[in-house]
Amino acid sequence: MSETSNNNLGTRSVTLFATCMVDQISPSVGESTVEVLEHLGLDVKFLDEQTCCGQPAFNSGFRSESEPVAQRFLELFEKVDGPIIVPSGSCAAMVRNFYADLFRHDKGLVERARTLSERLYEFTEFIHRFFGSDAITGICDDRVTYHKCCHLLREVGIDEQPIEMLSNIEGLKMVQMNRSDVCCGFGGAFSVKMPDISSAILDEKLDNIEATKANRVVAGDIGCIFQIQGGLRRRGSTTRVLHLAEILSESIRNAKTGKVTE
Amino acid sequence: MTAKVRFINQVTKALGRTKIIRPKENYATAIFEDRNLASSKAAQALEDAKAMTTTLIDQMVESADEAGWKVHRTDNFEESAELIVSICETHRAKFVLRSAHSVLTDIPLDSALSASGTVLEITEHSSKGSNQQIEKSKSAAFNADVGITGVDYAIAETGTVVLHPRAGVSRLLSLAPPTHIAVLRPGDVLASLDELFAIQRGDFLNGKLQGSMNLISGPSKTADIEGTTVTGIHGPLEVHLIIVENDQY
Amino acid sequence: MKPLTINFRSKAAQTIGDEQVQNSLEHVYTGFYRGRLNAAADTHNWEELRTKGKAIKDHTIAHLDHYLEMFSEKVEENGGNVFFADNADEARQYITELATDRDIETVIKSKSMVSEEMALAENMNESGFETIETDLGEYIIQLAGETPYHLIAPAVHKSRKDVAELLDKDFADGDRVPDATELTMLARKQLRDVFARADMSVTGVNFAVAESGSIVLVTNEGNGRMSTSVPRVHVAVMGMEKIIPSIQDLSTMLRILIRSATGQRISTYVTMVNGPKTPDEEEGPEEFHVVIMNNGRHKLLKDPFLRESLNCIRCGACLNACPVYRKVGGHAYGWVYPGPIGAIVTPVITGLKDANNLPAASSLCGACHEACPVKINIPRMLLELRHKTAEGSSDPNERTSKFAERAIWKAWRTGMMGRGRFDWGARLAYLLMRPFSINGWIKKAPPPISGWTLSRDFPLIAGESLKSRLNRRRKKDI
Repeated sequence: MSETSNNNLGTRSVTLFATCMVDQISPSVGESTVEVLEHLGLDVKFLDEQTCCGQPAFNSGFRSESEPVAQRFLELFEKVDGPIIVPSGSCAAMVRNFYADLFRHDKGLVERARTLSERLYEFTEFIHRFFGSDAITGICDDRVTYHKCCHLLREVGIDEQPIEMLSNIEGLKMVQMNRSDVCCGFGGAFSVKMPDISSAILDEKLDNIEATKANRVVAGDIGCIFQIQGGLRRRGSTTRVLHLAEILSESIRNAKTGKVTE
Repeated sequence: MTAKVRFINQVTKALGRTKIIRPKENYATAIFEDRNLASSKAAQALEDAKAMTTTLIDQMVESADEAGWKVHRTDNFEESAELIVSICETHRAKFVLRSAHSVLTDIPLDSALSASGTVLEITEHSSKGSNQQIEKSKSAAFNADVGITGVDYAIAETGTVVLHPRAGVSRLLSLAPPTHIAVLRPGDVLASLDELFAIQRGDFLNGKLQGSMNLISGPSKTADIEGTTVTGIHGPLEVHLIIVENDQY
Repeated sequence: MKPLTINFRSKAAQTIGDEQVQNSLEHVYTGFYRGRLNAAADTHNWEELRTKGKAIKDHTIAHLDHYLEMFSEKVEENGGNVFFADNADEARQYITELATDRDIETVIKSKSMVSEEMALAENMNESGFETIETDLGEYIIQLAGETPYHLIAPAVHKSRKDVAELLDKDFADGDRVPDATELTMLARKQLRDVFARADMSVTGVNFAVAESGSIVLVTNEGNGRMSTSVPRVHVAVMGMEKIIPSIQDLSTMLRILIRSATGQRISTYVTMVNGPKTPDEEEGPEEFHVVIMNNGRHKLLKDPFLRESLNCIRCGACLNACPVYRKVGGHAYGWVYPGPIGAIVTPVITGLKDANNLPAASSLCGACHEACPVKINIPRMLLELRHKTAEGSSDPNERTSKFAERAIWKAWRTGMMGRGRFDWGARLAYLLMRPFSINGWIKKAPPPISGWTLSRDFPLIAGESLKSRLNRRRKKDI
């Protein structure tokens, strides 16, 4: 907790919804999220009971399996006050945009989901809205390209903001990739159910990434990160795919230690 | 039960109703605007066309050019006639058809074409009558080298020429010959599609809607082969727009 | 047209492996998709127009019965005929009987997706009427004996060489491949004679105006105009959703349709037909028929969560925006309507059971929703259809999910309903996966995620959850 918060949030306390995939597959993204939020002077609460928002089953059509999980999420996070931060555009969209469909047979639940949604923010959106895109400075010497994850872009509305945020990182060279707003082909169960189509879409994305000669790809959703990283690895590429929170926290750390580490 | 009743009943049922209900007024569609309002909008559109002619012409020139018209601005009737003759000569036109638009008799077109020597026949493409005559007029249109029409309205937004087919303004005249020349009077340029359809709706509600209408914006084109745009697939390969900026208009 | 939706997977795979078609599909993005973006950027009130377009369509579809009645009465008042067809067979039969009765020899067809539902050209030819597609793309497709690949670019998958071979049967393999202009001029020559002798035309309808009984046709080539000028009988075929209320609404609808379809500000030709030719005209159809077809559309209308799909104005923007369409192509979808909108309309009209792969074949990226000129929320409807196929929510017969799939999601739910199980499940997965991993990634995974590792490494579950890591960190801080 290094800096006093200079925000229009009205509270110092926020709650992290890590999402199931970050929690169990990529916890470093969660830790980075916490570090960045703490760097902004916030107290970050973590509800130990959290699991998943219910999106995977919902997207596969299994609403009766999804619903109790979504309801559990709702009940759990209703217990805390203040902003809820999600380092995932997709999971934020699930709660904010799709719970209304999932719960549509129960007006009470729809209303509760709407109320909760008013204080649920995707990570980038939260920082951009309450702290501004120049709130975070740091150092890193990477050549970076940004991939616009679909749900973050189209459901949450975060477009160029991450690029603006990264422009405050000293030494970071941003290179625009072609078709950065075109899907990487992940799509949850789709990537496993229709691997040939998912891979064909991914191939185009990887070509566009490799053309930038970036050594880092930054994205905002863990599913897309796995898809792109998994594809790059298969091609033998050493390019790493990071969540925005990861590159920010690393840059903050670099600035503190005064050196750039790989 | 007729097919129509059965069909519409099924639609009503699918909408979750037992009978057709009249829709409540809705801002999005113009259907709830009455005749008086529609008429005044139409009158306004025509007035605006006259009041803003200079601006609209400049806009028209730009967007017509973009749409693929070869645009010419002329200062007087004689110049317009000479220009048309020179376009016909360039195409070695032997057979030229023209419509009965009055602008084409205002400019000394017929005499200029006759005098040019390369043009063999001028036909005012309007005659009603027998099947034989219909066939004759069709084949005339398909055999003509150049079709010349006036313009009923033009649209500055899109570079469009509007023609209402009628006696003296045949449907094929602006379509079948490989070259179409449209002659525009400056006061007939409307700002946008909004004004055009305001006028159409005014005409409709006053019982004056014409039988059909063609909006023409440049030469016939296609991009169906490898996405390459090619002009002249079915209609004209080349279209000219001549604006007669004569003091009399 | 007989649906072949069941072959989606194999057709898709075939197209993905076809380099030439993949190259052709690039144009869908570089040409049409970019064209729409530029046109939208060039239109100062673009979002306002979309909002208005959606509101017009929402209103019309909510009162479709009222407006259908109004439209048909007006067409008849104007001297036209209206035929209401419950299905494609009835529509086709009406047109064929009309052609027989009027001693028709040559029929020119303009592009019409509704006529594809009837497989009209094929059937008319079989019935002895020379029936020629006149849209260049459709003409190419007809010569190839195929179905359209795209809503507005039917032959987008064909190369110049393909076209040369189709147009000129003497074209030999070793010959120089003619350029697009030469090929277009060749087609012009071939089709001119057909136009001149046609005695009947069949066109689609871009918009049908209820208040005036008008139909509007939009083309760049001019075949729509030929169709409404030369033959003595004109038949316009339309899906029942094509209605808009007022003439004045056309300015909004034309703007969004054309800009979304090709990126043009306007197409070369927009033709408004208000009935048969007037008595003082010498050319133009003496008879004007409108065939309004349902063909299963009432099923879309009936479902409040799918009704919005009837707002579609068939611009093709969702296809151009769709990363899946751009890989699997148009034929994979197995019926008339490909791409995202096809993935909704086709299963409902032809049967969800055989077509269950269509709504599944989406990453839910939302590019279609973003591109749609009338803001149809396609991803939302894909999710509705997935719900039906997964759980048989509307009709148990529509359930196509496999037992194993259902079991997996049940297990998933169980795992997510308590933090203890969630952690325990993850640690178990970690232990099982770890021996097969290198540096935290797995090269070859077993089912159900074996598909993933065909082309991508799969991430190893973490040895320790975020919860546990954060708790350790906190203890250290204290």
